[in-house]
Formats: sequence, structure tokens, C-alpha cells
Amino acid sequence: MLEEHSASGPAQPVAATKDASGESREVENGTQRALNGAGRLSEAAVAVEGAKVDRGEMLRYLGHAGQEIAPELAARIDGAVELCERTSAPRFSWRTFPVRRGYDDQGKPVLKLEGSTLELPGADISAHLEGATECVVLACTLGLSNEREARRLAAVDATTAALFSAAGSALVETVADMCSADALAAAKERGLTAGSRFSPGYGDLPLSVQPHIVRILGADRRIGMTPTQGGFVVPAKSVTAFMGLFEGPRAAVDRRSCVACPARERCMLRKMGTPCYR
Amino acid sequence: MLPITNAIQNLREQGKPCGAEALREAGALCDSKRLRIKDEYLARVLAGEEYLLFDGAMGTMLQGAGLAAGELPELLCLTNPQEVTAIHRAYVEAGSQAVTTNTFGANARKLGDAARVDEVFKAAVECVRASGARYVAADIGPTGALLEPLGTLPFDEAYDLFAEQVRAAAAAGADIILIETMADLLEMKAAVLAAKENCNLPVFATMTFEEDGRTFLGTSPRIAAMTLAALGVQALGVNCSLGPAELLPIVREMAAAASCPIMVQANAGLPKMVDGHTVYEVTPESYARDAAALIEAGASIVGGCCGTSPAYISQLSALVERHRPVPRDVRALCGVTSANRAVVLEGRDVAVIGERINPTGKKRLKEALRTGNVDYILNEAIGQTEAGADILDVNAGLPELDEAAVLCDLVGRIQSVTGCPLQIDSSDPAAVEAAVRVYAGKPIVNSVNGKRENLEAVLPVVKHYGCAVIGLTLDENGIPPTAEERFAIAERIVRTAESYGIPREDVFIDCLVMAAATNQSEVVEILRAITMCKERLGVRTVLGVSNVSFGLPLREVVNATFLSAAFAAGLDMPILNPNSARYREAVDSWRVLCGQDAGARHYVEEYAGRTLSPSSAPAGASGAAGGAQAGSAQPGGAAGSAASGVAPSASNATAEANADPESQLRHCIVSGRRAQAADAVRTLLAMHDPMDIIDAMLIPALDEVGDKFERGTFFLPQLMASAEAAKPGFDVIREAAPADATATKGELALATVKGDIHDIGKNIVRMLLENYGYKVYDLGRDVDPQAVVDCVRERGLKLVGLSALMTTTVRGMEETIRLLREQTPDVQVFVGGAVLTPEYAQMVGADYYAKDAAESAKLCAKVFGENHGE
Repeated sequence: MLEEHSASGPAQPVAATKDASGESREVENGTQRALNGAGRLSEAAVAVEGAKVDRGEMLRYLGHAGQEIAPELAARIDGAVELCERTSAPRFSWRTFPVRRGYDDQGKPVLKLEGSTLELPGADISAHLEGATECVVLACTLGLSNEREARRLAAVDATTAALFSAAGSALVETVADMCSADALAAAKERGLTAGSRFSPGYGDLPLSVQPHIVRILGADRRIGMTPTQGGFVVPAKSVTAFMGLFEGPRAAVDRRSCVACPARERCMLRKMGTPCYR
Repeated sequence: MLPITNAIQNLREQGKPCGAEALREAGALCDSKRLRIKDEYLARVLAGEEYLLFDGAMGTMLQGAGLAAGELPELLCLTNPQEVTAIHRAYVEAGSQAVTTNTFGANARKLGDAARVDEVFKAAVECVRASGARYVAADIGPTGALLEPLGTLPFDEAYDLFAEQVRAAAAAGADIILIETMADLLEMKAAVLAAKENCNLPVFATMTFEEDGRTFLGTSPRIAAMTLAALGVQALGVNCSLGPAELLPIVREMAAAASCPIMVQANAGLPKMVDGHTVYEVTPESYARDAAALIEAGASIVGGCCGTSPAYISQLSALVERHRPVPRDVRALCGVTSANRAVVLEGRDVAVIGERINPTGKKRLKEALRTGNVDYILNEAIGQTEAGADILDVNAGLPELDEAAVLCDLVGRIQSVTGCPLQIDSSDPAAVEAAVRVYAGKPIVNSVNGKRENLEAVLPVVKHYGCAVIGLTLDENGIPPTAEERFAIAERIVRTAESYGIPREDVFIDCLVMAAATNQSEVVEILRAITMCKERLGVRTVLGVSNVSFGLPLREVVNATFLSAAFAAGLDMPILNPNSARYREAVDSWRVLCGQDAGARHYVEEYAGRTLSPSSAPAGASGAAGGAQAGSAQPGGAAGSAASGVAPSASNATAEANADPESQLRHCIVSGRRAQAADAVRTLLAMHDPMDIIDAMLIPALDEVGDKFERGTFFLPQLMASAEAAKPGFDVIREAAPADATATKGELALATVKGDIHDIGKNIVRMLLENYGYKVYDLGRDVDPQAVVDCVRERGLKLVGLSALMTTTVRGMEETIRLLREQTPDVQVFVGGAVLTPEYAQMVGADYYAKDAAESAKLCAKVFGENHGE
């Protein structure tokens, strides 16, 4: 009698689709790999299977710095992780554009992504993409089933809601890593290397860039991500970012750091010497 | 906006009749006879007697011509009309009869300052006309923003965006309104209502589904079809999504659930990059092969979406040219929907309607409604859902409330935490209209009765918004005593409903239970009336069961017996408290007996290994005692495991048992053990003053936890678990002690500021403060500054906490504080959030900065402590 898409969402992430030959695509690192030819575009949207919450990462988000965790709390953490993985339907999408330096209407220097309407203002993204010939624009999300469960938990159980939120933050990072790896693999085929991700809101790159990312990727239609007036996106557990592509080998200069982080001044994790990046 | 209620009021004021015909005459109620259908052929298409061939992709063609990512393709109608017309013409030459305007994103939100909506539609319609197409379909896509409550776009704003497009399309001379690529059923409903209320063109509505057969928001094809058919669109279906082969099950599901024409516009499979160009994997030939199966499954309006071109359309043309659709035989479904669940009754299936969200006789719910404690209500919704309710009744009828506003708000919030379809329960037709308008899905309206004035006020609302309705067997003369008289009223309600175009599958008759203690002879008459309605009218029936036992001891026993008898008489949907174990047993066992629980699978799963519980305690089953009842009636059978939750490990249990209750309580809180804290407080109440327990035990334990958190010995979840453990302790004291002894320690409001949607931090603070004994008015996220001021003023608050996550939203904080200073200068403000610093806090004009939840608790102690001293 009932058909249900319960708050707990689909039990499994969406099944892999088949390519033109009718065969399932190769699966590598849990990511359904896109076969991209020239590699300028992910599949319309890649549905990720089997992504797992990194508990270390999740605990760091909760401010964990070695405190002993009693069995009761450990069980709740396990439950939140399981719930998060079950209610998420992770998807990502990315596209590559050539980078060109130019000026905006007011004559300020900006980065332009050729073939799109996107212009990136600010010194930080400019420095981050210094030397890059192309730029990957990417968007990843855990989906609205995760968002819906977060709303439900907020009403019934604030502690679990906080654990669930941290699990989601960790999981969407993992999905972003998978997305980056997917784009990097395609870039490698063309002899390019990739830098690290840089998101709107880092340094002086404004959050208001985010709705433009949604638009140029068609991320609303493709992965169910919509912008809000304030420059955020729904679902909340989403990542948008830019990643430079470089010709020739790239020295490991831009390993992740706290330099561009807006929270660096007050960050407890940084003070304790256990920063949020790995 | 209440178009139906307002139209009726106008007619009444003018002393005119306001029956179905009068409302159609006035244009308030849609009427197929008054639709502006361009020609006879289109009329036959709408009757399912002819095929209609649409065009294929526009965006793909434009991108092929070099449109940059992120550009607004709609502007090309103004800047490059010849090119746009050339694409349309290519489709016409390939056989397209209906051609879609290049207006997918042409709403005021997306166009911004680039162009006006009406000029884009005018140019776009002209482009199609110039191509020689037979029909112009005005294209309307999603707004690009997510509606409340998961998103931030209010329903009315979405409606206004769509209404502007619809008026522009109609003024420009379009023949069809095509609403497409929708993933959100509520957004689709806003668009359909905008179309129905602002033009009289035929409306085609298609949604887009993912690989799992659901939209991004969880709507299935059947839910979409049931809801859209009830809303009265002329055609419905699926577009975009996937390739034509993958759409076959979706089309089948929709065709089985709606009798109107089914429309399909599939993608040419998935895009790929080959040599720098986007190509799609499905060829025109294989597209047509798969489309043939879609047509066979019932689709009669076909075209293409992403990746299709005139080559695909000419293949489709060959399929439908000189053919006629086979008439479809669609069995009418009896059911209701939410955005992600359909409840469909077949044969003798029964569905349970949960009655808990109704303030009548429920003190705590009344209090929650008055103080805006929405979480209490959401927990009632979630609890009933988990207890197995299929549908939830929602009633907010308190004389001191703006019922329409409260009901509207509750509908959205409840729908965001439960998939159960809702039953909108109000005696005020205006409140009903306001609520069903913003409801995602096909709801039940509770209720209409046999009085003429009531029928005239409620039925048009039911029809316009595509609802089902409960008909009460009472009229101007009250509730008649015999089955025959009740039946006569039911018959009148069904006939009148049909005159409005409401099919009898959507009318559920309530034969109205009387108390056996006062109207004993009527009980069997009610049962007889149920059978008569079912057999002679062919309608489903509902019944509010528990009234029957009023005035009798052990009411639950009487209720369960009556419920079983009513099931046997033909009751389909009992309205009851799903938390009651006896009710659940009666429902679960009846579902075995009537064949709904096939192979008794659910019953065995649920009841195998259980033993019968002893007869329930003598407390009354409903009325004022309802709240307590709900709490104690956890799943009846889990006999072995105590209701008090997970038992601690053996060694701990012994250690705690040996400790004195005071240190036991401290231990419970510090180690975050919710279950045992209540027991410890109960023990302590026998020897201590309630205030002593709070001030000398609960609060110091919480302070100890706060210190540990500050020193880094505890991290956040431990702090929260401790606060959580203190709560049952406070609750026990509140239940036991006189109100004045346990008055809240202080009242404050919390809000995540305008522009910001991240509320996890604010929620943590709220939870902590509540468990410290403060009364918190939680205003939610993305809160308008004026709403904060209004709350402060209404409640006379002395303290407000504001949260913002990002630098950009700190501005919203500053604006809120400025307004507070202006209008409520006495209030103090503390702020917090990821990017906040003491300097920032000072800059935005806050009194205090709280770096984390623990500090906000300290701060409250300071603020309210000082106030006590005054």
C-alpha cells in the first residue's frame, strides 16, 4: 500500500548506469569513473558509490583532541556515521576551462574562465592558480535526502544532529576528494597535473561566486544543488571549488595549510597542533 | 492568497448564489469548457484521441553554436531572433507540431537586470510563430531556487515568479503552458496554480527523475501523476532525466495513475566529450525504437530533451504520423500523497490517520501552539510516523491563534520531518485553503458536512487544490440517529462533490461516532451506516474511533473492540492515537485478516516471540492524560528490555547502585547517561527540596561538565550528552514540584541571522541552554531582523543570541542588532559563530561574544543572575 522515500533515504547510492556499449564502467577507488575522451567534462553527474565517512576527520570537526570516548558515545558516533552513509546519495560534477587573466568592468584584475561567464576576483585565487593553464570547476553534494534527515534530527535529538552534521562534513570532503581524483585522472591523460582545491569563501574569494558555479555546471539539474540568496547552497553538505591544472610536474608547494582559512585566528584545532587537513 | 475563499465572499456580498456553476462563471473555479483550446485537433489531443509531436533540445543546439557556460540562452530571443527561429524551423520541418519557446529560465529571478520577463516571452513567442509551428508551447522551467522549508524561497515568491511568466506567455499569444524539468513537487504545484489562476490555456506538466526512479526531492512517478492529475493539469509526464529506454518504467507508472494524456521528452542518453565536442550516446534510430515502447506504454505527447535534434524528431514523426493512440483504460486510484509517499487504498486495505496533532483536550500541545514550540509538534509528528501512522491529522484551532498562518507554517515544517501525507483539519475554510495551497502533494481536507453553506465553501477548495475530503454525516438538523438518515446526508455530500468535479474516490465519509455511554443505541447504527455508504455509494469511510468509549472505564479496551467491529463493517481509515498499543494490535491483526498484510509477513515480524502484555493501567486513554499515555506506550511487545533504555554495563550498575543518590546523579550527568538521571532525581525528591536538587546538584554537575569542556578534558558531544542527561532530571522536578518553585531561570531568543542557513551551532546552543533550565524561543535560520525584534517585544525578552557562520552574513547580524537597538533598546545581545571574534562582536554592536555553547551558558547565568539581583 505504501511507497516510501523515507527520511532515511535510499538505502544505497544510485546504481551505476551503463555506457553506450552496455557495459558497466570500471570502478576505481569506489568512484564510478567517467570515461571522458578529451577529459573536459565529468559525466553529466557522477553518482558515487560506497563513499565512507572518515571518522578521524569527523571527530576533528567535533573538536576531538584525544579525549577518551566512552562506549555509550562511541555507539552514538557509530550510529550517526551509519545514518549519514545511508541517507546520503553523493554526486559530483566538474568541468574544465582554460584560464585567462583579464580585467573586470571596473578595471580590477580578475581570472577569467574561457568558455564560461565566470570571473574570479581577488588576490588569493589568483595566487592559487598562478601558472595554471586550465581550471577545474567542481561541485559535490551529499544530496537532499541527507539534508532532510538533518532537519528531522534537529527536531528530535540535537546531539545526534551535531554528530550527523560532522559525519556529513567529513563525507562530503571524501566525495570532493573523489571528484578531484576523477578530474585529475582525466587531466593526467593530457599530461597535466593538478593543484589543490580552493573554495568560495576561502581568503578573499567571495561566497557570491558560488551561485555562478551552480549555473555554469548546471549543478541544479545535474546533482540537485541550488543556491540561496546569501550565496550558500542547499544541500548544506556540499562543496564547490576550483582546482588549477598545470603543464609539467608540479612541486608539492601548495599542500593544504591554514594560510587562507578564514577561521585561522580562533581555530582550536590549529592551536592544538591538529589542523583539520590531513 | 486565497482565490477561492475570496471569490465566494465576493459573490455572497453581492447576494449572488455561489455554487459550482457560479464559481465557474466567475472564473474562480477552472472549467474544461472554458479552456482556450486553439483548435479541434488540440482538443482531440487533450482527449487522448490524437498524438502530439513536440520539438527537441534547444540548449544543446545553442551550445553547439557556441553559447558560453553560464550565459542566459533566453536573451538570444531578443538579440538573435533569426538564429532562434532557425532552430525552431528545423524542428517544424522535422515534423514538430508544437514548438517550445526559448524561455526555460526566463523568470525575474534568473533574468535579473538583463531583461524583462514580458519582453523575453513576447520575443520568444514571435520566434516560434515565425517558424511556422502549429502550436506555441510557452516553456516554464524551475525558479532555480529551492523552496522552504529545505530551501529559502517562500512559496508565494515562487508563485509570483511563475505567475509573471504565465501572464507574459498568455499575453504574447502562446497556445500551451509547458511546465517542465521540475524536481520539487511543491515548486511544480506553485507553477500549476500560477498557470490555472492566471490564464485559461491548457497546462502540460512534466517532472524529471533520477536513476533511482525518484526526483532529487524523492517524488516518485506515481506520486507526481496522482498529485498533478488531482490538480487538474491537461497532460502530465516526464522530461529530461535519462534516455528513452530508462524512462519506460516511469511512463508505465504514470500512465497507470492518471487518465489524462501522458507526455514524454527523453534525453538522448548521457553526454560525453569526444574530440572536444559533447556527444550523446543514443542515436536517433535507437531513440525512436525505445520511444515506440513509451508510446505503447501510454505516452501520446512526445518530443525530445537534452541531446536530441531534428534528426531525432523526424524519427519520432514517422512513429506517430497517421496513427491514433490506443484508448487507455485507467482504473481510478483512491489515495493521497506527500512529496515522497503515496498512500493508496486497494480492495479492503486500511490506513491509519494519527490524531495527536489536535489541541482539543491536550494541554501540552495547546501550550506548544501558544508559545510557538514547533519542535514539540514535530516530535508528535515523528513519533506517530514511527508508531506506524499512514496519514497525520493537523489541527491548529485555538481561538487566540491566527489559524491560517499557524496551519500554513506547520504544514511546511511537518512535511520536512515526515513522509506521511497530511490531513488538514479546520472548520475555517480560509485556513484550509491557506494550508492546502502550500501543501506538497494531495492532502485530505477534514472536513465538509451536509450543510449547504459549508458544502459551498469547502468543496471548491478541495477541487481547486486537488485534495481528497472527509464528509461528515451531519447537516442543518445536527447528527441524525439512524443509519438511513446518516446515509442520506452522505449521499448528498457525494453528489454535490461530483457537481464540482470531485470524483467519489476522493470523498471519504465519516459516519460520526457517538459515546456508547450516552447514545448506546446509535453505536450499531453507525456500523450499519458505514456498510451502507461503502456498498451503495462506493466510497471509503473514516471514523474518529475513541469517542465511543467516553465516560467508560478502561477506554482502550472499548476502543479496540469498536475498531475491530468497524473494520468488519467496512471502515477504511480510522482516526486514532497510533501510539496506543491496543490500537496497533487491532490494526496489525486486521491487516492479516483482510489480506492487506500478505502472508502475514509484517505481523509475524512484529509479534513473533512476544507474550501478551497484562491489561493496561487504568489511566484514561485520551483527553488530558493523552500526553503521558503516548510516552509510556512504547512498542508494546519488546517485553524483555526495560523501557528505561540501554542498561549500563554490569560493573557500572553495581557501582552506581552502591553510591548515594546525589553522587549517582552527578555521575549520570557527567558521564551523559540520560536514562538513569530521572531515576536518581526521583529518589532524591523524597528527601530534598526541588530547588535544592536544581541548585545544589543539577547545576553544579553541569558546571563541572562546562569546566571540563573549557579545559579540553571533554569535547563537544560529551558536553551535549551531559546537558541531555540533565533534562529528564529537570522534567521530573517540574512534574513533581509546584510551578513557582521551578519557574524557568530566564527567557531568551536565538536566531541564525538573515542570509545564513547554517543552524547547527545555534541548535547546539539552544539545546544546552534549554537543558540548563532556560526557556528558549528558537526563531530558526535565515531570520528576518524584524522577526527578532517582534519576538523580543512580544515576549518582553532581556537577552537575544545571534549566530552567523560566514563573513558575508555578519552583515545580517549587524542589521539585526541595529534594529534591536532602535526598537527594543533594553535588550542585550550575544553573538557567536565560526567567523566571529571578540573584535567582530564589538564591531557589529553586540554586548557579548560567546566563543562556544558552554560560554553562552555562562553568559546566561551572568545576565539572568544580575537580573535576579535587581
